[in-house]
Amino acid sequence: MCSSNSVIQAQKLVDQLRVEAGMERIKQISLTAADLVRYCQEHRRHDPLLTGIAASSNPFKDKKSCVLL
Amino acid sequence: MGEMEDLQKEANNLKDQITAARKAVQDSTLQETVAGTTVVGRVQLKTRKTLRGHLAKIYAMHWGADSTLCVSASQDGKLIVWDSISTNKVNAIPLKSSWVMTCSYAPSGNLVACGGLDNMCSIYNLKGKDGNVKVMRELAAHTGYLSCCRFLSDTEIITSSGDCTCVLWDIETGTQKTIFAGHMGDCMSLAVSPDFNFFISGACDFTAKLWDIREAQCRQTFSGHESDINAIGFFPNGNAVITGSDDATCKLYDLRSDQELITYQDSSIMCGVTSLAPSKSGRLLLAGHDDFNVNIWDALKSERVGVLAGHDNRVSCIGVSSDGMACCTGSWDSFLKIWN
Repeated sequence: MCSSNSVIQAQKLVDQLRVEAGMERIKQISLTAADLVRYCQEHRRHDPLLTGIAASSNPFKDKKSCVLL
Repeated sequence: MGEMEDLQKEANNLKDQITAARKAVQDSTLQETVAGTTVVGRVQLKTRKTLRGHLAKIYAMHWGADSTLCVSASQDGKLIVWDSISTNKVNAIPLKSSWVMTCSYAPSGNLVACGGLDNMCSIYNLKGKDGNVKVMRELAAHTGYLSCCRFLSDTEIITSSGDCTCVLWDIETGTQKTIFAGHMGDCMSLAVSPDFNFFISGACDFTAKLWDIREAQCRQTFSGHESDINAIGFFPNGNAVITGSDDATCKLYDLRSDQELITYQDSSIMCGVTSLAPSKSGRLLLAGHDDFNVNIWDALKSERVGVLAGHDNRVSCIGVSSDGMACCTGSWDSFLKIWN
């Protein structure tokens, strides 16, 4: 399906690796991981699947009582 | 050939450089960072709605931006737009090719797209003047199946293909704006970053790649999976990527430290991951598997906190609505289920 090994292919791979090697990994894992945790905590309140939804405010829950149309 | 050897040597040097640079920022792990955090309580979601109407396997679904409408694609040759609350079918669109593998809802709500073994991405206008839904554009250029498509807007869409490339299309002219080449295997899935500047692709070469859309450049490549990556998504803050693979695991890769943070795996889970979606805060990761179930993970603590069991066949697609109120699963059993 994809091109077989060739000089052009190998050169493209080297060029790509050069781009990726040149990336600035300035942020340590301790900081980026902390950012993920903070994001989860800050948005916890707005995550209905996590906090649960009251039956009255759940648009997907069938209302048990009858409604006068 | 001397040239090939030199290039091979240079490639290996660069790979070593990348490995060393990744190690240099490894001052901690995600596990250590969350050592003091409690696992979330057991998550028990109930099926609130079952969307019935497809007559064959469902291969894809995508929520509309309003968190009520969603589109599904089935190999019965139909795209159906559903009102997930009333379960009414808003549109039932017959397709030229029934071998559909993906579908997408434009953020505007005006367009839907689909594609599959026809190697094309077909764009449908839902808001046509006479009320009929018609093909607006057929984007043809891929030399392999269309595995995934995602709208950037009503004028641009990104596709991933079995021909190992992803393409950014101009919908109005029907032409390729950018070809993203680099994967060494079929591209299976893609996801667009929350700021629309990047997208990520997962492929059968076991890697995920981060692409800069405007610079037309692959910025980062993530390895580690031991088999095809079938599903991919962004963590809601846009700084991390989640992948799901045939190796039965999901992985979380951090973009800024350029490496894997954690693997979501369990010895009891032996079936490949087909689809995944994070909850709105990112704390929960929902992953659909070949074994008919959806596993729910505490994404920070990497512990399974729930299971959605309700389908009678493989869960092929999953999506969480943008307001986070519901999760939709689609299955080879021909049904979609809405859970919360």
